[in-house]
Amino acid sequence: MRQNIEVDALARVEGEGALYIRLKDGEIAEIQVNIYEPPRFFEGFLKDRYYQEVPDITARICGICPVAYQMSSVQALEAALSVQITPQMRLLRRLLYCAEYIESHALHIYMLQAPDLLGHDSALSLAAVAPDVVRQALRLKKIGNNLLRTIGGRSVHPVNTCVGGFYRWPDVQAIRSLIPELEWALEASKETVRFAAGLAYPEFEMDYEFVALTRPDEYAIYDGEILSSTGKKITPEEFEKSYIESHVQHSNALHSHTSDGNTYFVGPLARLNLNFEQLRPAARQAAEEAGITLPLRNPFKNLLARAVELVEVCDVAIELCRSYQPTGTSHAAIQLKNGEGAGVSEAPRGLLYHRYIVDEAGKIRFARITPPTAQNFAQMEADLWQFAPRVIDLPHEDATLACEHLVRSYDPCISCATHFLKLTIDR
Amino acid sequence: MIVVIGIGQTLRGDDGAGIQAVQRWQAANPATASHPQLRVELEELPGLSLLDRLSGADAAILVDAVRSGAPPGCLHRLELSDLDAFRPESDSAHGWGVAETLYLGRLLDSENLPGIIVLIGIEAGAMRLGDALSREVTGALDQAAAMIEASVSELLFTAD
Repeated sequence: MRQNIEVDALARVEGEGALYIRLKDGEIAEIQVNIYEPPRFFEGFLKDRYYQEVPDITARICGICPVAYQMSSVQALEAALSVQITPQMRLLRRLLYCAEYIESHALHIYMLQAPDLLGHDSALSLAAVAPDVVRQALRLKKIGNNLLRTIGGRSVHPVNTCVGGFYRWPDVQAIRSLIPELEWALEASKETVRFAAGLAYPEFEMDYEFVALTRPDEYAIYDGEILSSTGKKITPEEFEKSYIESHVQHSNALHSHTSDGNTYFVGPLARLNLNFEQLRPAARQAAEEAGITLPLRNPFKNLLARAVELVEVCDVAIELCRSYQPTGTSHAAIQLKNGEGAGVSEAPRGLLYHRYIVDEAGKIRFARITPPTAQNFAQMEADLWQFAPRVIDLPHEDATLACEHLVRSYDPCISCATHFLKLTIDR
Repeated sequence: MIVVIGIGQTLRGDDGAGIQAVQRWQAANPATASHPQLRVELEELPGLSLLDRLSGADAAILVDAVRSGAPPGCLHRLELSDLDAFRPESDSAHGWGVAETLYLGRLLDSENLPGIIVLIGIEAGAMRLGDALSREVTGALDQAAAMIEASVSELLFTAD
């Protein structure tokens, strides 16, 4: 007998959300990824704050991807204030971003999504039968957090990033000393790709519009132009014209569509499909050896894309640690002025857009933050409209788990997505 | 080395009990709290990194808000083996509470866990975002601090 699927508290996601699939006369009538995490009003309370506080305030939006918030915000503010950073500052920011990818991807691959694919209800039960797998995950995560701490001063919310560069250069020896562990991480990542390629994913494909940053010369994470799989390419300044946010009643997070009204997909799968050519040889080889063929249109295979990216970021991190040799000032001088700027980077979960207006006193007059998970919610629901009918006749528990797994494969960061609530009062 | 860790979100009502109890104990017992054999940490949401905080210590005292159905403010003192009674499932938004993390630590890395782990639990009432500690829990802080002091003194005495 077909039943409603009601998951009041999604497990193994960051933040608080629910999933409801309601039937009427045996057919699916309503699907909601319901976000009840309290809204957090970041855009509101950034107003009137001094521009240099923004990277540290927005980092607090997320404990898994604070660097993403710092990277998008500093780029937006540097654009607003016409500040140029030096190439070595940009390289250190890339290295900091690699650190975040290592800890975030290791966590999601092994602790959050793998239990679904291996028939476990949590990483705890997985650890009981495959302790080495979970041990490897924890070591990878720790390597990422250590690199974060070495550059940013703290292993979770780093404090060294500023508009114009970094407050100070990290110690060269401290950075170099991380190389042996990163070399271990690179090998463990290659093993992770083999592990990920050997998992049995639910069969499900969608004809997605993928959207991710792109660069001709490297696998874009820190910066780039915004590319869609439709071929449309725009600059960060044009983002809000092409990707529109709207409020839906059942969610404290906004939903996003393209200006044509379509849902779209941001995250590892989008990046890998659009930027495979820009991967370095190590990651590309790992993907090819594992038999990964593109495009990947199965959202569950986000995990596979994460594993390939793990190889890429470990490889990049080793090179950047080896070549790290800072000279001169660690931050550019800044002249205050009225200005507006947009900044985009690829958070581990997908494209993260910021836009700010600053006044001549350096105060924030306007802030807009569009996090990746909010952009994916409409796509998640669209997926479920296709996916749920295929599983609804399974035993209820299996059907529920399958739908939950679909949501989890996006690695939703609900706490990131609920920074804004448009309040509508019906009278 | 003995480590005392206060755990909880101070912005979430009684969830902040662990941190406030450790702070109360530090203020009331500055001599013990600054003992060279002791490390004191306050963690809002340690998650898996709790294992790193514990790693290498001979003994640990964890102070955290708990829910067992007892009235708010009620104090519990548990040993590691008692945690088996707790379901590995938590209300933490990120899904990793102290019980899960210790369980995982014992599965994966038991040789690096302290030989002695004491959990001082403060029964929590409401844990709504933006609330302060409830009256009941505030009223129990002195007693919780005394319980921390007794446990620390005992461990320091044994260590000597």
